[in-house]
Amino acid sequence: MPVRSFKKYFSLFTFVAPAFVLYAIFLLIPTLGGMFYSFTDWNGLNRSYDFIGFGNFVEALAEDPDFVNSLWFTLKYVLFMIVLQNLFALGLAVFIESRSRSKGFFRTIFFMPNMISTIISAFMWTFVFAQVLPQLAEKTAFAFLDQAWIGDPNVSFFSILTVSLWNGVGYMMIIYLAGLQGVPQSLKEAALIDGATPFQTFRNVTLPMITHAITICFFLTLNGAFKVFEVVYGLTGGGPGRSTQVITMNIYEEAFSNNFRYGYASAKSVILFVIILIFTFIQIRVMKKREVEA
Amino acid sequence: MIQKKSTSLLITIMLSIGAAVSFFPIYLAVINSFKSQGEMFRSFVSLPAKIHFGNYIDAFQKINLLNSTLNSVIISLLGIGGIVLCASLAGYKLSRTSGKLSNLIFFLFIASMLVPFHSIMIPLTRMAKSLSVQGSTYGLAIIYIGLGVNMAIFLYHGFVKSIPRELEEAAQIDGCNEYQTFFRIIFPLLVPITVTIAILDFLWIWNDFLLPLLMLTDSESFTLILSTNTLFGEYNKDWSLILAALVLTAIPVIIIYSFFQRFIMHGIAEGAVKG
Repeated sequence: MPVRSFKKYFSLFTFVAPAFVLYAIFLLIPTLGGMFYSFTDWNGLNRSYDFIGFGNFVEALAEDPDFVNSLWFTLKYVLFMIVLQNLFALGLAVFIESRSRSKGFFRTIFFMPNMISTIISAFMWTFVFAQVLPQLAEKTAFAFLDQAWIGDPNVSFFSILTVSLWNGVGYMMIIYLAGLQGVPQSLKEAALIDGATPFQTFRNVTLPMITHAITICFFLTLNGAFKVFEVVYGLTGGGPGRSTQVITMNIYEEAFSNNFRYGYASAKSVILFVIILIFTFIQIRVMKKREVEA
Repeated sequence: MIQKKSTSLLITIMLSIGAAVSFFPIYLAVINSFKSQGEMFRSFVSLPAKIHFGNYIDAFQKINLLNSTLNSVIISLLGIGGIVLCASLAGYKLSRTSGKLSNLIFFLFIASMLVPFHSIMIPLTRMAKSLSVQGSTYGLAIIYIGLGVNMAIFLYHGFVKSIPRELEEAAQIDGCNEYQTFFRIIFPLLVPITVTIAILDFLWIWNDFLLPLLMLTDSESFTLILSTNTLFGEYNKDWSLILAALVLTAIPVIIIYSFFQRFIMHGIAEGAVKG
């Protein structure tokens, strides 16, 4: 028997080890290491450091207005993204699914921006916002297009949203389309025979049937939106000043700007992790309850 | 009936307008990349009077296109290959083994899917430096394997459950050892989920920006995206050049998109539902 169980563990080891070793080195140890150093005042260079408990966390949340501002800015962004991205994606999916011949064409067009790297999209839109729209405003009657799309933080919030939506809606649309195709035609027909309007059918038949897709898309949007980096980096660089800085950028700046506050930057990373964890947990808990079996 | 037709027409019109708006930035980037700087600033919206390839020749050299593309290809292929190999082995075995140890390892993999990259980027950079994998394309590919196996293992783990155990037993009776059984019998059966994983990882690795930015220091080893980023920073006002570089960077994914559209969309839907 011991020989057999040794064999069993040996075979488990040989199959799992390649994946586990790389995973441990590049993901597990960095995760645990970051958490460990977030409780210290290590500067990243010295051999010695002291434990300072929650000192870094208190400082980040109470004495670092830049960090707190980036936190609020990100939260606002997440809120807008969750609502708008899912609204647009679901709307597009429903409309596209109702087409017969042009279905494939519209799907291709609306998904295409998602193929382009986020940072490349941001550069492309920088051109649109900084050059094309002001010129259009000058030459045509659309004077409202002449905005400081990138310079004014109040406006550039919406510029950032626009680029994120342009880049991200296609992905969610594909998931919603797959969900819609799973709704049995017979149910919709039955509702129609019973005299339901298309809107009622959608509200009372289709929507409950695709709650699983909705849960997934909310989860993906929530997770992705908290981690927003490239769009802001490419479009405004966090500026003017730090007015459009998001959490990830604040962490990036703290970590790689040669402040040598390794422990403090780690604490900020842990805060981001915990926030995402809490929001995800709540979202899954709330939405799982609403799902119905097909 | 008439009302139904008009609603249908209205939806088509709305979708068409949406599609036009969605396509507008790509259209602008393409047409203006064929104009000279002077012609561009006269009008951004009009088609170029004469096709002007100068920007592309310029951009081709400045982003070191062939070299950068090669780097991106190497990183993506090695990364995807490594993820598929390591994760299929581990996912299969974890799915077939019961017991506390197996469950614990699987849980560790799954739980780590929630860790945001930005929370580990600082320790990861230090780790890469101390193992001296920082600065090399091969090193970067290895890091992608480490970061990507968790999701792939999750997907393989679920998929293996649909494969009957009798197949393995039959192979073993025929004299296959465990590894032969895996590579000859099981791995070919995993192709559908392997395609899904390869697509999701390709989109991730090819388009990733922050990890290469942190890891690669020498412009010889830059990925396509990173080279374009550098160009954007250096030639801030030279828009016709930048746009040509952006188009060149986008072309590979657009080509892949046009060939594998069905697989990509299927892969996304599949990956999401299983997740």
